[in-house]
Amino acid sequence: MNLWMVLFNKELVEMSRNFKWIWVPIVFILLAVKEPLTLYYMPQIIDALGGLPEGAVIELPVPSASEVLIAILGQFNTLGVLIIVLTSMGIIAAERKSGVAAIILVKPVSYASFVTAKWAAAMLLLWVSYFIGYVASWYYVVILFEAVPFIDFFQSFLLNGIWLSFVLTMTIFFNSFNKSPGVVGFITIAIIILLSVLSSSFSHWLQWSPSLLPTYTNTFLLSNEIPDNVLSAIIVAIIGMIVLLVCSISIFRRKELA
Amino acid sequence: MELFNSINWAAIVPIIVPIILIQLILLIIAVIDLCRIEKTNGPKWLWAIIILFVNLVGPILYFVIGRRNQ
Repeated sequence: MNLWMVLFNKELVEMSRNFKWIWVPIVFILLAVKEPLTLYYMPQIIDALGGLPEGAVIELPVPSASEVLIAILGQFNTLGVLIIVLTSMGIIAAERKSGVAAIILVKPVSYASFVTAKWAAAMLLLWVSYFIGYVASWYYVVILFEAVPFIDFFQSFLLNGIWLSFVLTMTIFFNSFNKSPGVVGFITIAIIILLSVLSSSFSHWLQWSPSLLPTYTNTFLLSNEIPDNVLSAIIVAIIGMIVLLVCSISIFRRKELA
Repeated sequence: MELFNSINWAAIVPIIVPIILIQLILLIIAVIDLCRIEKTNGPKWLWAIIILFVNLVGPILYFVIGRRNQ
């Protein structure tokens, strides 16, 4: 445990040297804040861009606060996922390429603590920046649209966050058998797209799929009641994360010894 | 001056100030890091231009791509 804390601290120090602690939260804030602003100023934007005949009147319905929150979560689930994959695609692969992993692993450090320390540090970064970004967007939604109860806001935050953690764990998993960060990023994004497409087109059979969690979050925000299948999706996501971590540890061990 | 007065400042300041602040922080950190770092991925002066003139995306691109030194 003590050794694990040392590795964990090493990750945190590396992240602050890379300025990840500053720029990742800022990117999440900007992603989140962009959406309520453009939705709020849409009539003025259309006006200013012009191209409409004289006297044309456009009536845009003012979106409700939960619709804005859904749009914000949509940003997190597309560009946010891209940022997560980009920041964590080299987390093990780059260290193996440069030989740092070999230097650490000659010492009596277990493979499990090496991988889980990295995973925990990346998770901490993800949740902190996701939380800061979502709170910033909440500020704008309250100012520009209407107040959203904090409980709803927090529940949607947790629900969607489980899917984001699943994505992160998947990136770590692909890290364990590829040495090139670019390949890791590409495979992860391809798998995520495939999962989302599959489970949204076969949503009747795959109700427990973790990639449906964003959809469930949206229904929760719109109707204010938790859909039935959420629990199974959460359980499958958590089991999936554990399985992915265990697999990545064992694959990593085999690859490193070979 | 007329344009300046026609804007409703009280409504706009709480919206726009946090964004400008965040953007400034990001830009300053990127510039400080660029001054300190030994080698970037690609010429240094090009990154300086990108950070300073490409709004918002420039510093982020620098952190994602530019800092990766082989």
